[in-house]
Amino acid sequence: MAGEEEERKKKGFKLLGILDVQNTPCAREALLHGAGGSAVAGLLHFLVTSRVKRSFDVGFAGFMLTTLGSWFYCRLKNAKLRVQQRMVQEGIKNKILYEGTPLDPTNKPRPSGPS
Amino acid sequence: MAYPLQLGLQDATSPLMEELIQFHDHTLMIALLLSTMVFYTILTTVTTKLTNKNMLDSQGIETIWTIAPALILILIAMPSLRVLYMMDEVNNPHLTVKTIGHQWYWSYEYTDYKNLEFDSYMIPTQDLIPGQFRLLETDHRMVVPTDSPVRMLITADDVIHSWAVPTLGEKMDAIPGRLNQTTFVVSHPGVFYGQCSEICGANHSFMPISVEAIPLIHFEDWSTSMLAKI
Repeated sequence: MAGEEEERKKKGFKLLGILDVQNTPCAREALLHGAGGSAVAGLLHFLVTSRVKRSFDVGFAGFMLTTLGSWFYCRLKNAKLRVQQRMVQEGIKNKILYEGTPLDPTNKPRPSGPS
Repeated sequence: MAYPLQLGLQDATSPLMEELIQFHDHTLMIALLLSTMVFYTILTTVTTKLTNKNMLDSQGIETIWTIAPALILILIAMPSLRVLYMMDEVNNPHLTVKTIGHQWYWSYEYTDYKNLEFDSYMIPTQDLIPGQFRLLETDHRMVVPTDSPVRMLITADDVIHSWAVPTLGEKMDAIPGRLNQTTFVVSHPGVFYGQCSEICGANHSFMPISVEAIPLIHFEDWSTSMLAKI
């Protein structure tokens, strides 16, 4: 099982030989959005202006902007998720450590009434 | 664990290495897009039919290609400095391990409670049992507890060595007469390998590092058994 997983990882597609698209979080989505954005931008420009070369340039610019935008948005979301994950892990660890003690974070303080 | 023909970083075993990998991916994407843009620009420049022998004013493009690289560098520098300062944070280590580089082996000292010291030699290829890794296995592993900050004090006995474990994001020079400090936290149990990373003589490639991370309760058993053995 571990061997199969490792093999799949070894065969991961490396864009331009450097970026492992399959194993880098957000890379695949960013590149796919970029490809889509490039196609849409280039096609729209061509339909409006009928200029082929300029449409290619616009398409390329669309690719850059869409890829960057999608990448940063996805990375930011992931970073927030990772922070939340760590807080949850810390919380679970603290609950296990302090359960039943006065330091238990889930203990609700009892209201002190007249004696 | 490294695999043949590996180009990228190993999977992270410490929170610091996870941050380093995030930063690496971020910078790599920027580098990839820039390379694509340069390639496209060269392609269009080479294939254009337009020719002009006179120098023209170009304030617009010059402004753009001055400001844009500055912005890109800021975009790279901000996470870089964040990770850099994160690496220097003091995190109240639970354990201190001293490691000394020798020609050509590492020795480890656990002197927090009792004096536990041992040497760690590479297992020669002819002595490996099936399943063991060539040039990576050692006779005694450095054992640490998981989820506990560990402080490493690194020095050397003779020439400069370097204590490196890629999956933990650790690399620190072992310099004679100097004590270097680094800290790490191992997130999950396992065995993690590294190799000496500073040329130190004939057997520089044959003094690996192997770190075994185990839960704290088993770590106590291990240290008791090691003390009994020694």
